[in-house]
Amino acid sequence: MPLSSPQDIIQLNVGGKLFETTVSTLQSGGPDSLLAVLSTGPAKDSGPIFIDRDSDIFSILLSLLRSNRLPSTALRRFSLQELADEALYYGIDSRLRFAVSPPQLHGIDAAVKDTIRPAADAIPSTFSAAEDGSVWIAHGGQVSVYDPYLTYTSTIRTHLDDITSIRWVWPNIAALGSESTAGIHFYNSSAGRHVSSVHWTDPTDPRIYKARVNAITDSTNSIFASFDCPHKENAVLVIDKSTLQISQELGRQPGNSAKTTVPEKLTWLPETCSLIGISVTQGAFGYSGYIRMWDPRSGEVVWETNEPGSGRSSSRFGDPMADVDVDVEGLKLFKICSKSGDLAMADLRNLGEDPWVYMKDTNPILRNTNWSSSGNSMVLHCYKSQVFVGREGELEVWSTTEDKKDESQSDLVNERLGYKRNYVDKSDDAERGVIKRIEGGGNRLFVSREEVEGLEVWESSNFSGVLSVS
Amino acid sequence: MPSFTTDKMIGTQTASESNNDVVSINVGGQIFQTTKQTLIMAGPDSLLSQLAESTCPFVDRDPEFFSLLLSFLRTGTLPSKVKDFDIYDLIEESRFYGVESLLIESITNPSQFDGFALQKSLVLPLNGRDSPSAIATTSSGSVHVAHGSKITSFDWSLRRKWTILTQFTAIDSLLAISPKLAAAGATDFSGLQILDLENGNVKEVLNWENVTKSSSTVQAIGASSEFLFTSFESGRRNSNSIMVYDINTLKPVTEIGHYEIYGADIDSAIPATKLSWVSNHRLVMAAGSHSGLSGVMGNIKFWDIRSGNVVFELKEKVNCFADVCVSDNLNSIFKVGVNSGEVFYADFRILGGGDSDDSGNSSDIWVCLGDGRKIVNGKKEGSGCKIESHGNQVFCSKGGDIELWSEVVMGSHRTSGNRLDERVFRKNTMGRVKDMVGLKITNLAFGGNRMFLTRKDQQAVEVWQGAVRGI
Repeated sequence: MPLSSPQDIIQLNVGGKLFETTVSTLQSGGPDSLLAVLSTGPAKDSGPIFIDRDSDIFSILLSLLRSNRLPSTALRRFSLQELADEALYYGIDSRLRFAVSPPQLHGIDAAVKDTIRPAADAIPSTFSAAEDGSVWIAHGGQVSVYDPYLTYTSTIRTHLDDITSIRWVWPNIAALGSESTAGIHFYNSSAGRHVSSVHWTDPTDPRIYKARVNAITDSTNSIFASFDCPHKENAVLVIDKSTLQISQELGRQPGNSAKTTVPEKLTWLPETCSLIGISVTQGAFGYSGYIRMWDPRSGEVVWETNEPGSGRSSSRFGDPMADVDVDVEGLKLFKICSKSGDLAMADLRNLGEDPWVYMKDTNPILRNTNWSSSGNSMVLHCYKSQVFVGREGELEVWSTTEDKKDESQSDLVNERLGYKRNYVDKSDDAERGVIKRIEGGGNRLFVSREEVEGLEVWESSNFSGVLSVS
Repeated sequence: MPSFTTDKMIGTQTASESNNDVVSINVGGQIFQTTKQTLIMAGPDSLLSQLAESTCPFVDRDPEFFSLLLSFLRTGTLPSKVKDFDIYDLIEESRFYGVESLLIESITNPSQFDGFALQKSLVLPLNGRDSPSAIATTSSGSVHVAHGSKITSFDWSLRRKWTILTQFTAIDSLLAISPKLAAAGATDFSGLQILDLENGNVKEVLNWENVTKSSSTVQAIGASSEFLFTSFESGRRNSNSIMVYDINTLKPVTEIGHYEIYGADIDSAIPATKLSWVSNHRLVMAAGSHSGLSGVMGNIKFWDIRSGNVVFELKEKVNCFADVCVSDNLNSIFKVGVNSGEVFYADFRILGGGDSDDSGNSSDIWVCLGDGRKIVNGKKEGSGCKIESHGNQVFCSKGGDIELWSEVVMGSHRTSGNRLDERVFRKNTMGRVKDMVGLKITNLAFGGNRMFLTRKDQQAVEVWQGAVRGI
């Protein structure tokens, strides 16, 4: 009911300008916000409530509370930082963040919104995105923190020369690993200081020494990091999140063949309480690697697959995987084949000897892609039920049509799944450099490229981007 | 302290008693005064007309936007200070007050369409690398663009867009049934899909049951206010038909022009690739052509849905059409010849007069609007040209340019009996010098007071419009 009874009407005097609104509007910012507190305060009788703040910004924030959207002109008149600061003062920053956060990411309709460039050493060595849309970029031994508005917050200089893995384990704590320095290191972003380091040691085996971290992931209670020693022996260590002490060692292996090298990618599956480790190496004879699934409670391997495997276990012998990623929400595994460039999917609930379903490419503009197998870089990332693939500089997406139930069982498998391949980028975008890493967070897709400064931010938008040409 | 406010309320009421029609509205702390008549302009269901009835109304919204919308209600046009605001904010606000449809009508009024005033004014970019294959417009000036397996829809303000993924590889025919619903089909995909453009769902799949039980691909889609027409061809390409559906219920109404091909009768093997509704005569125009060794040939048939008969037919054997359109306002059909690339017209009064020779070709019915030069080299100069009519004019794309054909009404000829062939049409090339010689135009459509076009290899839609007041 937009028409309000006079009792609900509340008068505010902000910096000399009079506003009238309703109690319910002010309270919509949350019960703990300053505005909600003022609206229930005892000062109602003595005329308008006086707030000594800027009236122009307040009028924008009041619009936000009333209509649940930010007026389009707001960002022309004020910077996002000003609005965010003022929203924090009134205690309605979550409403502002919601209003300015990007809409659902659709790879079929996304464009580069921004490129984040740290001030110095701006080539990201790795980065980690969070679900609120904020991102931590590791570059030249530093970690730069960007908040959900993607405004620069702070930079921490670490003792590492080169950070190759990063994971956000607590809201303020990042776990860092380096290929040149042993151990996993925890840094506090708000204090900007080192918290602790954990090294892999074995009192019974002195050769376990100077082990470096290759991949980090975490569950609610634990951090998982894959360590390998200079002599290639490796294992996954389970670190307790609250004490930051090692609690368990998983899957120790010698590392002397492609089937036993250290996992380069670790993913925690909360649904099945299992950990997936992926290793893909490129050698003189092409790609080889494995996907392995552990149950950390028993420490046992639940499932694994090796490529190139024996001829029997793979229908695509001679076309080993170049990259693999886990769709945690959809409980699926996706791999990209190194020779054919095809995408394959496996259902994590139904893994067998050869669980792969290969997707057929139906988009004619992509069909003629000159795909040569050797030396091409391929990166795979699953986000929001879509699979993003970086092939050299090109970014493509595999997504399903919304309506899957409609298809009859007799159709071809890929049609039943309904995965369609589309380019996300334009051909100009692809020329910026080889895609090195893709990660999604907060309905944004972050993309870094080999030897290119800055981090690309891809978003979908409902704004048409209309250009005036008259 | 409620008594104090009550006093104030009584005060305002007594002041307004002198003139019962004046209404005071408090919008976010600012008092506006207007009349009941002005507020009622917003329509009986809108919030504003409710405000006219309530006592001492308070609206918890931004006063700046209310002032704009109030000016709009008072004068019927938006004040020029609207340029300081984003039109999309105003649309959202108008939705709150329930005057969105009034605003749409005022801004995109199709009756304000003026072909002479159109200029290239906006470009709507598309993400990804697929070029548009089909576009569909609505009368409010919104546009849906099929590119690759996706459809991107732009709302009437052209400020908002959303994209859905379809099951098609590429969409060849697209028609907007309503702003949120479209019919889509492809020449390599079985069935006509009715798509919900908001959430990407397939609402319904309409199939034609052909004799061979093979798939039925969609060759063309057309619509009238009551019916949806679809030209299907069987997957084995040996039969074709035009299905007529009720546009609201999507139930089949009738089937017209069902042809089975036996032997070498090429002519009946041509499915209709363009379907248009001729509202003056309540006929469906179905046109199709075929490119063979002896050149391009085709036919244009006019169907009566109720009887299921062809009322008249034009056989196109010499200089077949590259594209053809119907103009209700000019009571004529227009074609662009595939060989000569010239524009022809045929007056419905001649067609209706029974002059058409069923056995012979149709070349004597067409009147050439160009200089009538003969085809010397037989090159297909008109190949790929598009022709569309809107309002009182005909638009024909030639390569990257658009010819605008308009009729010059000659006072003396109008009254001098039935000399139909003396109608005078003149052409202009549209746009300024800088807009000309663009890439080849692949789609041309009209909606609201706008012209939309797409060009080869351009991932964008061009919008041509006249000067729009207020935005």
